[in-house]
Amino acid sequence: MPDIASLEGEPGYDVTWPWTSGEPLAPGLTCVFRVRNEARNLPWVLPPIFSAVQQVLLVDNGSDDGTAEVARRVAEECGAADRLTVLDYPHRVARAGGEHLATPATSVHSLTHFYNWCFSHVRTTYSMKWDGDMVLTPEGAGILRDLSWQLQSTRAIVAMPRHPLTVVDESTGWLDLSLRFLEPWVYPMGPDFTFVKAFDWELREFPPGVERIVLQQGLCVEVKWLDADEYAHWRRDGVDFTNTRLYRKLREFEVDEAIRNGDPESLGGLVKVTAPPGVHIIDHVSRDWLWRQPRPLVQHSLPASLKERVRP
Amino acid sequence: MSLRRVVFVVGSGRSGTSTMAGTLRTLGLHVPQPEVVADATNPKGFGEPRWVVDLHHELLQRSNVQVSDARPRAWLDTGTTSGDHATRERVAAWLEEQLTVADELVIKDPRASWFLGLWRAAADRCDATSSYVTMLRPVTEVVGSKQTYYGQMGAGSDQGAVTRTAAWVNMMLHTERATRGQQRAFVRYGDLLDDWTRPVFALGEAFDLAGVKTAMAVDIAEVHRFIDPSLRRVTMTWDDIGVPTRLRELADETWQALDAIADEDSAKNQEWCDQLRTAYAAQYADAEAFAHSTVVAQRRTAAADARREASGQPARGAADRVPHAVRAMVPPAARQKLRRVLGRERPQGSA
Repeated sequence: MPDIASLEGEPGYDVTWPWTSGEPLAPGLTCVFRVRNEARNLPWVLPPIFSAVQQVLLVDNGSDDGTAEVARRVAEECGAADRLTVLDYPHRVARAGGEHLATPATSVHSLTHFYNWCFSHVRTTYSMKWDGDMVLTPEGAGILRDLSWQLQSTRAIVAMPRHPLTVVDESTGWLDLSLRFLEPWVYPMGPDFTFVKAFDWELREFPPGVERIVLQQGLCVEVKWLDADEYAHWRRDGVDFTNTRLYRKLREFEVDEAIRNGDPESLGGLVKVTAPPGVHIIDHVSRDWLWRQPRPLVQHSLPASLKERVRP
Repeated sequence: MSLRRVVFVVGSGRSGTSTMAGTLRTLGLHVPQPEVVADATNPKGFGEPRWVVDLHHELLQRSNVQVSDARPRAWLDTGTTSGDHATRERVAAWLEEQLTVADELVIKDPRASWFLGLWRAAADRCDATSSYVTMLRPVTEVVGSKQTYYGQMGAGSDQGAVTRTAAWVNMMLHTERATRGQQRAFVRYGDLLDDWTRPVFALGEAFDLAGVKTAMAVDIAEVHRFIDPSLRRVTMTWDDIGVPTRLRELADETWQALDAIADEDSAKNQEWCDQLRTAYAAQYADAEAFAHSTVVAQRRTAAADARREASGQPARGAADRVPHAVRAMVPPAARQKLRRVLGRERPQGSA
């Protein structure tokens, strides 16, 4: 009997946790990617991750840009082919927001089920979700590499701030230092740390009182390509951003619009970075620029109006 | 390609780390100045930069970790401290200053293992290649040497030996883990004393150290004078140290695994160390659970002391701990004399 049978009755996409099937978890950290069309970013994203964690699980959800092939090639180049597992999840997954809310949690189309299915394939004592556009700095990779064994004696959650970098061209980018964008990424594996449904997206549970470690700023950038026009459908769909939980998305949208309109300075919190000749802006920011900047990198916090729950 | 090299000499104290650092210094690597001065516990000098020792002391305090700490979790605490941006800036600035004095540095401090992530990042910022020499010495000799030179600790010698043996296992297995995948070597203290030329020549080749590769006859002769086989003053066996069988077996196997890695730094031997680390963490967790009542009692005592201190009452003196009935049996004249000796005379004329 699976732990979570898929609503659609697809045995291949039921969820069975390793502690149910009796499979042992080895000490270590597995990085779980759920990706669609990240072939462009993976050559920056994967090498520091391979240097930091023991296992990488990449779940491809309908890419048509060769994402899986690029992942395999980069793993080969990093000498990490034996530490990469590529799985295919062919079901269309509901988009965050209203579509997610309308989808039952155990449906193969639910973000919740998708995450539980992905993480049920982890065979180490710790796991971390990671996005296909997040690039670790060398020091970030070093800290994560040490954490992968330092965490083994305890059960803690690790949160890391990330800094969105909008790539304008090969040598120019805008770094958003308006907010910390702090999210927990690393969790122990176990029945207390699985995914449940929240209003807009999935939520990873944790037991009360669990230790939380917050890493410093400047260890990770989230790459946005201006030429990819990632927010085009938002402009068309008229997404409702008035909700506090969506503030981060609103900010991303505003940054994209401001740069596109040639007026990023007016927004505040954006820093223009120019790479030296012959160095790509992503390499420059992640390897050489971030650690040299004075701290705190991010001086702002959420607008006061968004910090508190607003009751009517 | 940068010529800058930083060699970190790590491992448990009393394992020949000073001898290794001193050897590399004699051959031409630079030990950042000033150094900790030699004393009776280490007559040939420690080879430890004062700044590094002070830094580690401060960071250990901030992390609430001891130099010789048996808790597996202590690694997470020092690791978290190591990530601090201001500390990284400070260490990188100091290292940069030292690298302007010489391209090849040797940094040794028994506390260094706790902060290798910090040092690696600082060396990277200075465009220097980090490498690690872990000194290996049988655990009985290390613990015996510590008991001899640092003194007995705890309620009795056996308790000290148990704690030190556990701390040795914790230090060695985690140092192995922390240096894995980096440029590293494991050197047995015995090999260094028997014929230092072989392990040290190998280090020069493996780490590409100009100081070792270009050493002149006069430097080599100097090392021969520096290394004194009689330094290995403490040779002990388990018969001399009272350590429970379970911990003794784990310590013995840790020594065997590291001894194997010194010959062959293979995935198989690293996996062996992984298994031992897991076993040690489990054994430590058992011990912690076993002694939990002691921890609770000490926490209560500390909380009571803190409350008393906050309320302005003096801490209880030795005399106060003697029950009143017993104190009353001391004749008044003797009581007065005792008060005088203790410097707690009552004011004259008081009722």
